[in-house]
Amino acid sequence: MRIHQLLPVFSPHDAMSQAAINFQWLLRRLGFPGQVHAAEVAPGYSSLVAPASRLKVAPEDLVLYHHGIASELTSALLHLPCRRGVVFHNITPARFYAGTSLEEPLNAGRAQLAALAEGVELSIGVSHFNASELRVAGHANVHTVPLFVEPERFDSDSVDEVYARELSRPGSLLMLAVSRVVPHKRIEDLLALHAEVLRLNPEARLLVVGPYSRGSDYFRKLPKPPQVTFASELSHGELVAAYRSADVLVSMSEHEGFGVPLLEAMACELPVLAFGAAAVPETLDGRGIVFDEKSFAALAELVMRLRDDRKLREQIIEGQNERVAALSPAATEAALSSALESIGVPQVVAPVRRRHRVGKPRVAIVVQRYGADITGGAEAHARAVAQRLAKDAEVTVLTTTATDHLTWADALPEGESEDGAVKVRRFRCGGERRMPVFNALSDERFQAHHGRVLEEHWVMEQGPRAPELLEHLARERAGYDAFVFFTYLYAPTVLGLPLVADKALLVPTAHDEPPLQFECYADVFEMPRALLCNTAEEAELIQQRFPHAARARRVGVGVEPLEPSAAPWRPVPGPYLLYVGRLEAGKGLKELVKHHRALARELPASAPTLVLAGAGDLDVGGEHVHVAGRITEQQKYDALSQATAVVVPSRYESLSLLALEAFAAGVPVVGNAESDVVAGHLKRSKAGFAYSDSAGYVDAVKRAQAERPELTQKALAYAKKFRWAKVIDAWLEEIDRIRKSS
Amino acid sequence: MKLLGKDISADRLMAELEARLGARGLKGSASEGGPIHFDGLEARVDPVAFNVEALSEHADPTRPLPLETHRTGLGRVVVLLKGAFRAGGQVFINEAFGRQKRFNGHVRDSYAQLSAEVLRLRERLEALEKKKAR
Repeated sequence: MRIHQLLPVFSPHDAMSQAAINFQWLLRRLGFPGQVHAAEVAPGYSSLVAPASRLKVAPEDLVLYHHGIASELTSALLHLPCRRGVVFHNITPARFYAGTSLEEPLNAGRAQLAALAEGVELSIGVSHFNASELRVAGHANVHTVPLFVEPERFDSDSVDEVYARELSRPGSLLMLAVSRVVPHKRIEDLLALHAEVLRLNPEARLLVVGPYSRGSDYFRKLPKPPQVTFASELSHGELVAAYRSADVLVSMSEHEGFGVPLLEAMACELPVLAFGAAAVPETLDGRGIVFDEKSFAALAELVMRLRDDRKLREQIIEGQNERVAALSPAATEAALSSALESIGVPQVVAPVRRRHRVGKPRVAIVVQRYGADITGGAEAHARAVAQRLAKDAEVTVLTTTATDHLTWADALPEGESEDGAVKVRRFRCGGERRMPVFNALSDERFQAHHGRVLEEHWVMEQGPRAPELLEHLARERAGYDAFVFFTYLYAPTVLGLPLVADKALLVPTAHDEPPLQFECYADVFEMPRALLCNTAEEAELIQQRFPHAARARRVGVGVEPLEPSAAPWRPVPGPYLLYVGRLEAGKGLKELVKHHRALARELPASAPTLVLAGAGDLDVGGEHVHVAGRITEQQKYDALSQATAVVVPSRYESLSLLALEAFAAGVPVVGNAESDVVAGHLKRSKAGFAYSDSAGYVDAVKRAQAERPELTQKALAYAKKFRWAKVIDAWLEEIDRIRKSS
Repeated sequence: MKLLGKDISADRLMAELEARLGARGLKGSASEGGPIHFDGLEARVDPVAFNVEALSEHADPTRPLPLETHRTGLGRVVVLLKGAFRAGGQVFINEAFGRQKRFNGHVRDSYAQLSAEVLRLRERLEALEKKKAR
């Protein structure tokens, strides 16, 4: 079954939208695939949130509709031919907006809430306060599933340093409010308090973070005391900087259904001072300071005290930390699971004890692309394992119809096929990747820390989204003993692994690259039963980045080269250095060609040709460089056997299969020293040299030429450690562990 | 004003604040923010009654909605122009929406009659269920 969510408007900075993405994350962890749909989607976010008009449901599906102000979706929900639930985020009482155009939609929202009572089987309030209002509106099966923040996204590492410096002014008190500038938030009371604080600290500042309309009557009529800043659109890092630079967070709001900024402030160790309206006392649960009247002079004294009394401040922060810990994602996940159980939807991922099945294990290998003609290290690795594992297991590869990882265009027929003894099931990619958009997004997202919404948006833009593959995982999980996911990076792993986490193994192929900084990858490394790493360096990198990662086992790959042909193929006459792999910018080829020019300048007559073999459209030709294009496996080993050395220029390597193939063919390697993995191979094998600049490259090539016979011996000795039989034994052992425990 | 917090000694803190106010020649801590609305739970809004009322309120499309803008400058000029258009063009607006007005009236009446029937049937069902339970 799928659990979809429906909301009126999706906007990345809106609390309801963030709640929907957070719920989707938790639902995934509970084993439910599903999509978020909205009547209006902010431009650029269609990969993350689909239009409401495209929502297609089966009778067993559940749709959770997020309700606030009146929406046409209420009526649509009541007519959906599936199971239905509502998540209530509260509605501002209409009296705050009497006589304005908002009054009617606010009342209509409450009428719709009552109308939903008979049409849904599950009603969720994001606070007890909201749950109580659901009951008043006539809802029967009501549960509280509170909102939460992920504290690690609000730590000091997430601060935008530029904005923090901008806000820093020693001696000047900074009072923060994070709120929309609308009447019920009582911004005029904040300004009145600020005026009182100015009497005590003339340098004091008030920063109001939240959307506002400069032309609205409400904004125009607000008093404007000095040193007040309204900031409408802050990035996540800037928001964290604001919380962490301020002396106190103040809320004067007279209606809050939950109050996410209160929780965010607590996560940033900022004392909270809030008027006790609606759900505010519940959200704070006695932490921070709540007041029941707006005595601005006394509150101003209290604000000063909160800044200056270190002991008081520390006590409050300590208490707030406990509240943040109580409102954790895990607590919300448990509450959501319990709510779903109340309508007979049990958690799927919970380990179920059953009798140990005899016979060959049934293993699903999940990889973004698959096939003999697919270039790519992880894809080749997946196929090599699938083919060998098929002797001892029933192997099904779950993959997409794509051959091109840049576009994810559906190129192969969907459905079942066979690759030797391996069964292959292909699913449509669910949309092509828009590379210019994706590259621009990457440039932006890699620069700073973000909330979950923006990180997951990046993952979805990267793709392949393959929704039917995800549904297959959830639906057919009982039919497999183990699921092995290849590469941590792509959407099928991020979205699919949590669905079957109790039976999952991950081959991360991780290296030090910007996406590894995204918190949304934590589940991928923490939830599987084990990580099957290629190298010790990779396991160490993962452990550093995700200290709670699952057990890592260094498994690696086997390397058993083909014998050279009787008349071996040569890419060029004369001596040459060989690179085989994708011809892409990320592989370090432009730098390699630059270094090779330096070599050619130093050895104008005897410099070997640099041969670049592989698919790709990177323009890297030039003097002493030969682009050979795609070559066959046989041609690769023919070329390897005659190369002076193999060059590994990429700094992003999790295994470097090319280096291992070179060693197996007795060929030395000249590799990029910035790759810990390549440097590790070279250090352990002593069968090549690392370079970090042009001079180092020239030196490495010269030494590889001069010491070739010794290096060959060392390379062959090192390659003997990489045998498929050992690798497959390790895989079967891990699969058996899962079988025995499930 | 009262303070609430598990991590503070509320009465002592409040007394200290009042002492400081006293030292500044300010009196006590009475509320200065005007009447405060403490939110209890909002009452249920009956959907049938609300919809009948809303349909009645908006059945006449020739009646204008209030003119508002959240913009400055040009936004305000546009509001003025819209007002002028309405003032001068009401006779044409009436003409253009004559049939719509009739249609809306029928929708309102149909909804009112159908919802009244639903309410009547619900009551009857409730009575039958009670009778059966006895």
